[in-house]
Amino acid sequence: MDLQRTYSETNQIPDLLIALRFVFGQCALQALDLVDQRSVTCLSSPSGRKAFQVLGGSGRLLYTCFTSCHYCPCPAFSFSVLRRNESLMCKHLLAACLSQAMGLCQQEQVSDQKMTHILSGQTGAST
Amino acid sequence: MADILGVVFRRFASGNVTSDVMFPSHVEGNTLLLLGDVNISRSVLFLAAVTAATDLGLKVLFFTQTPFQSLPVSLRASIPGLKLESLKNVKFVYVKSLEDLREDIASLHELASEAASPSSLIIVDSLDHYLHGSRVGPLQDDLSPVAHVAALLHDTAAFLTQILQSRADGQGLCRVMVSFQSEREGSRDSEALAPELLLSVLDRYLQVRCTLEEVKRDGEVGQNEWQVYLSVVCPSQVQQWHMVLQTGGALEFSPVIGGEQQILDQPDESKQENERCGDG
Repeated sequence: MDLQRTYSETNQIPDLLIALRFVFGQCALQALDLVDQRSVTCLSSPSGRKAFQVLGGSGRLLYTCFTSCHYCPCPAFSFSVLRRNESLMCKHLLAACLSQAMGLCQQEQVSDQKMTHILSGQTGAST
Repeated sequence: MADILGVVFRRFASGNVTSDVMFPSHVEGNTLLLLGDVNISRSVLFLAAVTAATDLGLKVLFFTQTPFQSLPVSLRASIPGLKLESLKNVKFVYVKSLEDLREDIASLHELASEAASPSSLIIVDSLDHYLHGSRVGPLQDDLSPVAHVAALLHDTAAFLTQILQSRADGQGLCRVMVSFQSEREGSRDSEALAPELLLSVLDRYLQVRCTLEEVKRDGEVGQNEWQVYLSVVCPSQVQQWHMVLQTGGALEFSPVIGGEQQILDQPDESKQENERCGDG
């Protein structure tokens, strides 16, 4: 919320970058790289359902993240967040949050049926 | 979800339940994890589904692997005067695999925009059975399948809540209730995920926990009595109830007054918990 408000008012987030680095560590820099590369797409379907798809750093894999809670199918989320509880988010989730706050998401419309496949993990290499 | 359990406990209480017995219904989370033996959990889920459909007029989706061969709870004993036509609001969906379960839940948005009334309660019976059956491949210790289905339930409920609120002047809530047996016969093999780890993942997405603990007298079970602990992770609150399975098959609930004191005596700890939990 702070980031979204600051960015909308000043078009910059210099002070918040320090906070991001402190809270998320190296993950913050990796996430910001993804944001710079416009790697986050907000998918929408006619029903109104939404989801994020994040293109991984290698440019080969798509990770589907939900809009209402923290989940990512990447190994880093499974290990560092779920198993070890060492991190709050992976870089994909953080990139999605940052992109949404700064209005830097790509937008894409998909059918309701395709959204079902995406959310269930049947589409692409996301799971 | 705690609001529906509150209706269930009061509806089937032995004696009067005073309004002083507060439920953590104001908790932002509308998702509940039910822990306990598979049979009694199934009965409680069924009772919750029927109560939601009949008393509250909600549409209920009940996902289970095993079709009901007979009523798990004697409905006629529990709900005299029950009109079976009111059960039409409960839709039973029999899915065998975790993949089918995920696809069915993920597809709920397809009909929500057209349906006269989207589902207000999604029940998943014995999630552990679905997860156990899906463990294939070298990454058997991967927690991602657990988190995926729990997060999908959470996100789907959030979406359906938006739909319900847009149609009901800001009212309306879609709830989720999931049963899970953390300790299963023969499940403690070297490749099984520790139950505590699975529960810690589920706790991320299912904010209220209802634990059914069988009462032992003289070291023996089978007394048909359970202690029911209703707890919220953040802020920390615990409420205790007592549940008895009567001879006729009806379930009866009664509040444990000592359990309420635990909440009332800990206002400072509750405030500290609020500060620690932050904005969530």
